[in-house]
Amino acid sequence: MARARGNGRPGDGHISRITRLELENWRNFRRVDIQTEGRVFLVGPNASGKSNLLDVNRFLRDIVAVGGGFRAAVERRGGVSTIRNLAARRNPHVGIKVTLGGEAGQPAWTYALEFGRTRQGHPEVKREEVTRDGKTIVARPDADDERDPARLSQTFLEQVNVNRAFRQVADFLLSVRYLHIVPQLVRDPDRSVGRSNDPYGGDFLEQVAGTQVQTRRARLRRIREALEVAVPQLQDLELDHDARGAPHLRGKYEHWRPQGAWQSEADFSDGTLRLMGLLWASMDGSGPLLLEEPEQSLHPEVVRYIPQMLGRLQVRRSRQIWVSTHSPALLEDPDIGLDEVLLLTPASEGTEVRQAADVEEVSTLLAGGATLADAVLPQTRPRGVEQLAFFPGGR
Amino acid sequence: MDEAVLRRLCEHVGSSLGAVHVKGGKPRLLQRLGGYNEAARFGPWAVLVDLDQDRECVVDFVRHWLPNPAEHMRFRVCVRQVESWLLADREQLSAFLAVPRATVPHDPDRCGHAKHEMVKLARRSTRRAVREEMVPRPRSGRPTGPAYSARLIEFARERWRPDVACERSESLQRCVARLAELTAPS
Repeated sequence: MARARGNGRPGDGHISRITRLELENWRNFRRVDIQTEGRVFLVGPNASGKSNLLDVNRFLRDIVAVGGGFRAAVERRGGVSTIRNLAARRNPHVGIKVTLGGEAGQPAWTYALEFGRTRQGHPEVKREEVTRDGKTIVARPDADDERDPARLSQTFLEQVNVNRAFRQVADFLLSVRYLHIVPQLVRDPDRSVGRSNDPYGGDFLEQVAGTQVQTRRARLRRIREALEVAVPQLQDLELDHDARGAPHLRGKYEHWRPQGAWQSEADFSDGTLRLMGLLWASMDGSGPLLLEEPEQSLHPEVVRYIPQMLGRLQVRRSRQIWVSTHSPALLEDPDIGLDEVLLLTPASEGTEVRQAADVEEVSTLLAGGATLADAVLPQTRPRGVEQLAFFPGGR
Repeated sequence: MDEAVLRRLCEHVGSSLGAVHVKGGKPRLLQRLGGYNEAARFGPWAVLVDLDQDRECVVDFVRHWLPNPAEHMRFRVCVRQVESWLLADREQLSAFLAVPRATVPHDPDRCGHAKHEMVKLARRSTRRAVREEMVPRPRSGRPTGPAYSARLIEFARERWRPDVACERSESLQRCVARLAELTAPS
């Protein structure tokens, strides 16, 4: 794929980001049509579908991934009937359309996929379309599909021999990374068994170990420097292998002993591990980065600087970053644009998604001196949340 | 950003910051001012806030919010925003933003809106990253770009020279003098 050049800027033909996302009947969304910028902050109550929205990007990635494919991607999610929105009526199919591009001079691509199931219950492509600058590159079903409907069990996107005309799109979708580090999994001694590319960080240490030595050293050094503020006791950070050959992170902590004390990841705090994972992921890869509630286990003063860090990352590495969050400290950043914030509001027909820039009340509150957190979080506050205080009931 | 500036100023007068209370927004900070003032009866406190467009005159502003300052309280108001103090080191700032020095205002204390001035400068930068980080997109609804604060924190920490800036900004000069009183043995 198009790799970053000297100054970290991508080469020609590189796609920087998803600029528009349209969904129909995807899980708890009946219909979504949103523009997305370089950073995308998803804000909504619990169970409003923030993870499901991030999952669209992972789904597309799973189609392209080695050992993946359309059918596996659908089945991994419990099949078409689980993916399809319960309120789906007129159109019984699930539809996804992404518009890709982002920078002047870059071609604008669209990739659209609509799928349902066959009588036997297998996932089936109902429509697949690719355009470049408005010109149609692929339009399925085509004459061959009519003759041989079995072809519709696969997308063109996943097939190397037919996706050549839009390989950039496939490469871009393949570059999507998802991260939601669960510290317990990183520490789990059996973590390496059968996991690869585990979004929950089960293979985090293997990933670190699998990186070229020099790159790894440079990254660990930068992580330690970045952690200087949040974890000032940490003096050194390196990768080590135990007797069984399993990789471990070792950190040297400032200590009452003059030499300091070495600790392995088993002793790192949840916050330290999550922050390390976040920093590692930000340096690893060049495609869209999906972060699930990066604020977890971190001090609010550390969280406060996450948006700035992501802002720099997005500009300097031309990388799109999607973040789901509940955190007031994160949303207090005055440099988060209203066009970067998506508000998820559950309704009877499925969750609605709006850009904060389109919600008049938000701009009015900001003009009056409120922070984005003040303006946005009440919009997503669960109704009747005070009932929780009465739990458990009875006398 | 205010924290980074204050930190540099404290270093400049030979002191260092203790606990920092970042209050995310002026209204919230002013609400808590009474508590800080109470604490300043017993130890040194410095509170930094932007005047913005609130009032014409700093003296009025201070009288309104802090009529009875405690002995160790130093309540400093930037006229009108902390950016004006950064603008006051013209040479370093123009190099940092990659803009001609002549475009950096001569009298930062008189800038009606230093934040706008800073963004206006960044817009002229020959470096793409400066523009994209500091200048807001048209639909963002914000006065500043996505990593505006990060850029200026970097500038305040690594490039900005308080002593040079003092020569151009009287308000900064006064702030430095007041901070120096806090650290001077009494």
